[in-house]
Amino acid sequence: MTKISFFKDKLIQIILILFSIVTIEIFLLAYHVDMFIKIYIPVSILGLYTISILIEYLNKKRFYNQTLNILNGIDEKYLIAEVIKNANFTEGKILKEILEQANKSMLENVNKYKHLQEDYKEYIEMWIHEIKIPIATSKVIIENNKSEATKSIDEELEKIENYIEQALYYARSNTVDKDYYIKKCNLQKLVNECIKKNKTVLISKKILVDTHNLDSMVNTDSKWIAFILNQIIQNSIKYSKEQAKIEIFSKLGKENTVLYIKDNGIGISKAEVTRVFDKGFTGTNGRLSSKKSTGIGLYLCKKLCDKLGMAIELDSVQNEGTEVRLIFPNSSYIDMK
Amino acid sequence: MQKILIVEDDEKLREELEIFLCNNGYKAESLKEFNNTIKDILNIKPDLILLDINLPGADGQYICKEIRKESNMPIIILTSRDTEIDELISINYGADHYITKPFNLQILLAKIASLLRRSNMQNVPEKIDAKDFIINLSNNTIIKDNKEIELTKNELKILKYLTQNRYKIVSRNEIMEFLWDSENFIDDNTLTVNMTRLRNKLEELNLKELLETKRGQGYILK
Repeated sequence: MTKISFFKDKLIQIILILFSIVTIEIFLLAYHVDMFIKIYIPVSILGLYTISILIEYLNKKRFYNQTLNILNGIDEKYLIAEVIKNANFTEGKILKEILEQANKSMLENVNKYKHLQEDYKEYIEMWIHEIKIPIATSKVIIENNKSEATKSIDEELEKIENYIEQALYYARSNTVDKDYYIKKCNLQKLVNECIKKNKTVLISKKILVDTHNLDSMVNTDSKWIAFILNQIIQNSIKYSKEQAKIEIFSKLGKENTVLYIKDNGIGISKAEVTRVFDKGFTGTNGRLSSKKSTGIGLYLCKKLCDKLGMAIELDSVQNEGTEVRLIFPNSSYIDMK
Repeated sequence: MQKILIVEDDEKLREELEIFLCNNGYKAESLKEFNNTIKDILNIKPDLILLDINLPGADGQYICKEIRKESNMPIIILTSRDTEIDELISINYGADHYITKPFNLQILLAKIASLLRRSNMQNVPEKIDAKDFIINLSNNTIIKDNKEIELTKNELKILKYLTQNRYKIVSRNEIMEFLWDSENFIDDNTLTVNMTRLRNKLEELNLKELLETKRGQGYILK
């Protein structure tokens, strides 16, 4: 609140006061009153008025500045109604009341959507558990009736499974509550599971898998990290060239353990590499007719890594390959988000 | 024959699992009602149980806990619940393995075999008798007419797989997938080397004609 804006608001009042002083003065002149009174009345009116608006100015200035300071100091601005100081004038009291009511109603509204989202997530989780049963059944049926056709169906089922996984983790990545559990996991075991999961396509595409230096423990949720690893390895498979090779190894640093997943695939152009974690970003590679990228995989990886308190980085040289790094903090205490 | 009990409420899945386990040399039975699950399981006394978590009546984790009070039988939890917490609870309640649906059937078989081996040590098949020769699993050798030749780990696994699928054409990819399941991620060239060495060793035992290469298709053990 500046002086000018405050006095502008008071302009009419000031004009009226001045006008009434002038009128009074005219009357006083007309009735030939004592000189002392002629001066005393306008001066005292003007003086008292000035004092009163100065007090009002200081009072309001203090209140509004304080409120603005508080507002600037907090991250969640909508909480202002909770922390605003009590005013000793009517407008301030009304303002507080309005803020409180608006805030309350907004919170109710937000809660409504929170519940809707929570509901939806629960439904998705339930749906995913349900659909896994017919998939599991189909897989056993395939195993019991092996033929070229069922083998081909098996490959398609594999794809369905991956899409389902993605949907599950998408639902999980969007909720505020934590539904992961961090414990010590062996990197070798995590990587091996993931390679085994993709063995059919890795073998049929003749992709060389080289794992070394993986004998270390990291603090993470094994299920979530398995999903992330799987997305990365599937990308390596999808964007592989002739004589493809995937190298997986780790390096133990002072503060963190880094897991490297390196391939010699088609790589990503310099212009696009910074955007690979953006939602829905497919890039030139993803738009190649055979690849059908959804632009969700890496976006989800990044989001899940953020939630797990770890980092994911990606470097790539076009036509030479891509390197993804998963960085696990070494401390057992992890900032839970 | 060892008896495996399937405790799963999805009818079709349990029927197919029964067929699958029977095809792989086990006797499979399943519960069809879930009113007295714990009692039923203890009465049947299987050598191993495959247990679902989401069951009508008592849930799988509770069942697992109750069975552990009475019996040491191997328990594999087979479920679509895939959170770390569910797994931890199940393992804490005494489950031996936790496998999520949809599962890799070869891995399921491997886990069943290793659990059964551990639970009744007397039944360990130390030797596989393949008529023409004997595979001795305890010291990685192949024996014919008192002549013994040592095999490497990979060669042994390949021979074991060929013996299991005898008289059938086995593709190179199938052999590789089998080796990959035991976390041995060999490439095509290594397989060629292993196959050549295995063939040479068979030749030393005058068994060369048993292993035939089917060009473009794979191998067959006759």
